[in-house]
Amino acid sequence: MPRLIGVDIPANKRLEIALTYVYGVGRATATKVCDALGLDRGLRARDLNEDQLTAIANYVQKNYPVEGQLRRQVTSAINRLREIGCYRGLRHRRGLPVRGQRTRTNSRTRKGPRKTVAGKKSVKGMK
Amino acid sequence: MSRSVKKGPYVDANVAKKVAAMAKSGKKDAIKTWARACTVTPDFVGITFMVHNGRTHLRVHITEDMVGHKLGEFAPTRIFRGHTNKKEAGKAPE
Repeated sequence: MPRLIGVDIPANKRLEIALTYVYGVGRATATKVCDALGLDRGLRARDLNEDQLTAIANYVQKNYPVEGQLRRQVTSAINRLREIGCYRGLRHRRGLPVRGQRTRTNSRTRKGPRKTVAGKKSVKGMK
Repeated sequence: MSRSVKKGPYVDANVAKKVAAMAKSGKKDAIKTWARACTVTPDFVGITFMVHNGRTHLRVHITEDMVGHKLGEFAPTRIFRGHTNKKEAGKAPE
C-alpha cells in the first residue's frame, strides 16, 4: 500500500477515490488534483510510481490545507467562536447543535447517547 | 442566504452615528442599542455596547475577534436554567 502525506495509505482503488482517504480531500479536490497533474483518474493507487506519489503529495500540500494543518484550522475557528461569547460559541460550549436545528428530538450526534430523565413523558404521551 | 456583497455589511445608521461621534470626542460610556442585527465593523473595536436581549441591555465589549458578527450574537435571548426536578417542583414552584 502506498503512503501519501504522512499516515494515509489508500488501498487499491481508483486514484480519484483513493485520494479522498486524505483528510481534507474529497471527490471534488481529488478530481482536480488528478487533472492538474495529468494523471488518469482511473489508475489504481498501487500502480503509482514514486515520482507520481511525490508529485501528488507536493501538489496537494501546496494547494490545500490537509490533515493536521486543516484539523488545527478547524479547532482554532471553533475556539475563536467559544472565546468571543457569541451564540454559536455558546452552542459549541454546551455541545448542542450550532446551526439552529431542533433539540426537542434528534440532535443525538451532538448530544451523545440518550440520558433518560425519570418522570418525563414519552413523545407519544405528549400528543 | 447570505447578504449580497454589493450592499456591504448592514450597519445600523444610529449606531454608526454614535460610534463616529465617540471616535471624535474620545472614549465615553457604553452605547445602548436595540440594533441586534447591526454588523460589528472594525471601528467598533474597544467600544462597549449595551445590547438589548428583549428584556434588558447586556454589556458587550467589542474585541477584534468579534468583527463581522452581529451585535445580537453576543446577547442571548433565552435563559435555560435547567429542567425542573420533579420532587422540588411539587414543593416550591418557582
